[in-house]
Amino acid sequence: MKRTARRILLDLDGTRATATLYDEFAPKTCEAAWNILPVTGRAIHANWSGREIMLHLEGEKVLRLPQEMKVRSNFVTEGDITYFYRASQMSRGKQLAYSAQFQRELSEFAIFYGSPAGEGLSAYDPARTPYKEGVHVLNKFATLDRPIPEEFRLKCETLRREGLKPLTVSRYSEG
Amino acid sequence: MLATRLNLRLGGADAVVELAERDAPKTSKLLLSLLPVEERARHAMESGREVYVVLGESVDIPEENQTIYQTVGDVLMYYKPSVFIEPGWPEYANEKPVLSWVYERDTAIMGTYGPLATNVVGKIARGLDKLQAEAPRMRREGFGTMKLSRL
Repeated sequence: MKRTARRILLDLDGTRATATLYDEFAPKTCEAAWNILPVTGRAIHANWSGREIMLHLEGEKVLRLPQEMKVRSNFVTEGDITYFYRASQMSRGKQLAYSAQFQRELSEFAIFYGSPAGEGLSAYDPARTPYKEGVHVLNKFATLDRPIPEEFRLKCETLRREGLKPLTVSRYSEG
Repeated sequence: MLATRLNLRLGGADAVVELAERDAPKTSKLLLSLLPVEERARHAMESGREVYVVLGESVDIPEENQTIYQTVGDVLMYYKPSVFIEPGWPEYANEKPVLSWVYERDTAIMGTYGPLATNVVGKIARGLDKLQAEAPRMRREGFGTMKLSRL
């Protein structure tokens, strides 16, 4: 797939990685994401989806986008960055790890920094699947540039032990 | 017979665990032999609302009172795939014995290819609400120590 040159910079508590947008694969999501940059927040580690950190979009940065692609098994893999949306009252159990805002409506960027990532372990794994057609929106819109900096991956991993860390996603251009 | 009761502490939260000695006698005996267990608590990245500690490599968990349908308050012992524990774990160690518990409904313990059978060795009988607040708090602020000891 031919990619455009639009790239983004992820700064996680001072550790950086870049990513390239999937403009031809997800043009609407890429454009919407690009238009709200820069976005800053506190990233949290995933519970279900393996080596993934999430950045919740807040206030005027909240995106409510339509599904832009077909989601299949093993849709997400290491390095992918997705946009995820879940309307209010669609989750189960208490969501105490999140602020009150995200117990209702969840609009986020998800960064899959290592393996295992996303749904890639089993095609028959409903418990971990973050996506339900018609209920959630899951659009893959970027991928981390290779090689993924080891320092960045390890910093992502520290969120499991040390809790939330600041993450800024911004437009990136070399030079 | 009254169930043996244990104290489960996560950070500043205390709860009471009742051992399933009738349904899981060998696992209960094993767990009692390991007490007190005090290790760094970790949060699952693949199974939902589960907190666990890694036990020593010599711990040999028998298959007993197993289920893939874990539920809120279950205290579990099983082998967790190393890939869910640390990124750079030695390749020869495919799995590690763990002691864990489930604090919310949207949880299913996962192996590398799907649901994983786990020994149910006990039930959180009191204080679950405190753990349900403490685990997410630690998820936001950083994980500390979990201790399981005799009451």
